Amino acid sequence: MSAQPEKPPRREESAGLMEYSTESLVPFGPIHPALKEPEYFKLVLEGERIVEVIPRVGYVHRGLEKASESRPWIQNMYMFERTCGICSFVHSVCYAQAVEGLTMFQVPARARFLRTIILEMERIHSHLLWVGLMGHWAGFDTLFMWVWNDREVVLDLVEAISGNRVHKSMNTLCGVRKDMPENMEDRIIERMKYLTDRARYYRDVIDTEETMLARTEDIGRVTADTAEKLCAVGPMARYVGMRRDVRLNDPYAAYDEVPFDIVTRNEGDVHALLRLRLDELVVSANIVSYAVKHLPDGPIRIKIPPTIPAGEHSSHCEAPRGEIFYFAKSAGGRTPERVKSRQPTLANIPTALEMLKGQTLADVPIVLTAIDPCFGCMDRMSFFDIDSNKKWTWSGEQLRQYGINKYFPERAKRQLHGQKFSSAGLGFKEKF
Amino acid sequence: MSELFPQQVGRYAEQAGSKLTTTHKNENVIEVTQEKLKEFLGHLVNDLSTRHLMTITGLDLGQNIQIIYNFSHERDTVHVKTNVPKTKPVALSIIDIVPGAILYEMEVHDMLGVYFTGNPWMDRKLLLPDEWPSDLPAPLLKTSRADEIRKRLDLGVAKQ
Amino acid sequence: MLEKLTNWSRKRSPWVFHINASSCNGCDIEIVASLMPRYDIERFGVVLVPSPKHADVLLVTGVVNAQTVDRLRRVYEQMPEPKHVIAIGACATSGGVFKGCYNAGQGVQDVVPVDMYIPGCPPRPEAIMYGVMKLLGEVK
Repeated sequence: MSAQPEKPPRREESAGLMEYSTESLVPFGPIHPALKEPEYFKLVLEGERIVEVIPRVGYVHRGLEKASESRPWIQNMYMFERTCGICSFVHSVCYAQAVEGLTMFQVPARARFLRTIILEMERIHSHLLWVGLMGHWAGFDTLFMWVWNDREVVLDLVEAISGNRVHKSMNTLCGVRKDMPENMEDRIIERMKYLTDRARYYRDVIDTEETMLARTEDIGRVTADTAEKLCAVGPMARYVGMRRDVRLNDPYAAYDEVPFDIVTRNEGDVHALLRLRLDELVVSANIVSYAVKHLPDGPIRIKIPPTIPAGEHSSHCEAPRGEIFYFAKSAGGRTPERVKSRQPTLANIPTALEMLKGQTLADVPIVLTAIDPCFGCMDRMSFFDIDSNKKWTWSGEQLRQYGINKYFPERAKRQLHGQKFSSAGLGFKEKF
Repeated sequence: MSELFPQQVGRYAEQAGSKLTTTHKNENVIEVTQEKLKEFLGHLVNDLSTRHLMTITGLDLGQNIQIIYNFSHERDTVHVKTNVPKTKPVALSIIDIVPGAILYEMEVHDMLGVYFTGNPWMDRKLLLPDEWPSDLPAPLLKTSRADEIRKRLDLGVAKQ
Repeated sequence: MLEKLTNWSRKRSPWVFHINASSCNGCDIEIVASLMPRYDIERFGVVLVPSPKHADVLLVTGVVNAQTVDRLRRVYEQMPEPKHVIAIGACATSGGVFKGCYNAGQGVQDVVPVDMYIPGCPPRPEAIMYGVMKLLGEVK
């Protein structure tokens, strides 16, 4: 390796990622030699304000891309599905599309519509999951419980169609493995209507409820220019006004045959993200209802040989969190030469770092959850305060309690450590 | 505006001394040398408004390591390929043109051992564990073997 | 006498700490779903605590990769005796679909001693509840 270039001196004010495009490079070296533990986020504070954030991902790095080179094409699909439990189906669709592009075969129309239906149901479940988590981190556990209860409605539908709640494993190369069961159309449309009503109700709640407004308005701002330069994807691009959605920009599956419009917002704060995801939920429910009514007849899959012709192809899809990208290269054999997958959270980390700068410690969990990362990211964070020279580590739950106590000090006196509101006594009735 | 996007890309590709191949699925592939890379990307980002870098893919081609910059522009995708020799895997960083490339370059650095001159975070690991032995070659090279890495990382031998 | 009382209270209301050791989050969302009103594991007295120092039972998900081995061990050591570990999901049991990957373990039992395995990819919330309750039935 060639000699490393000299590092220019470090600046004390928030040295952002944006500084490079003009004059000199400003590096983020390790702040303190003692911070050697493999934490997920290292936050440098001045008093209460965050000055720098050092990301450390890799806690879920398992070596899938290397392993994919020694497994058959079809087995890789089920492995890449398990990259993420929340958006597993879109990973398998994107991988399938990257590989199908190497062959001459076309996916049948019915399979494309079925893929679209499950993709949108997955988007609904993911957004509901996220809204519930935002409620939990903001200290509004009732919202958490109610939203996740509604989430079970869409999980029941997914289970009825594919047989599983989380890893659907419904895809195969050039088609899907399971067909829509008989007489499901009315049930699906009825439940989509229910979910639309609930989404509108939750939209009201987040617009009027004091807890949510206090904790999410005016937090986590980023300019549209910054988001574009840092290649933000998904809701992180759309909440500052960019019309960036792969379903619209480069349609795949059946998205060019279903009429819909994407949702963008201009406010650019975490509250806008809440509204955006709930509105997207309504759009998804409409897409599912339309697709179910206009499901074309025909085969659901085409059998293709186990060897894929040589070549390279890539594909991108819109997961609930943003854009997913898959690249597949074949040397003509039964196993891939190279498969590359890029998850949306990685693309959004630079934007998230910019969002965090200038925020207070109490807002950190809200801002980090707003980018919709995986759970594990929130498990452990370490802090270093420049003023007092203190260093400490907190679990996500401890940080959450700190945030709640800061915003709602009267509640802090009443609450025991970390116990959630019990669901007993709220009287839930099973609707379906 | 009368020129189609692939034709515009083709023009800049010729200036950079290479040819453009467009596949039937709206993929535009250009191969450039390291010297012409930044000039070409500058045209792509500034003149053709192709600002969204989806990711940077690294491949092991045997003698060389290939770095592919995957851009997206509405219904088209542009893939800019460049090679660096394995004997001297040093490439130029593009974060002055596309600041969002910083983490993708860190990933290629971790996975294939390519050093990007100009990227301030080359001393850090993005995905590999901190316990990664410094003498162990990068994992995605064709010569690296998964079972050897597991033994060095102390993760137990895979029971067959 | 006091020991009988504490054992009884541990059985009736186990305090649980959940750790995600390189999981895809599938098992984690099913664990959280089991706390939600549809399945409601809280009616059995199970409480999720924010710190391992207050926990009786450790729920581990995920294939343990090189970066999380240390963390998992430290969390296990911080738990007070008597403690139990439940490995949830195929990955925590044996490495799951990632067997052979260069940065994936072969199951949690290589890092901490496990008392109960709950297989599945991911296991349903009902299966998780059954597993936790079965473990508590073993506690004397």
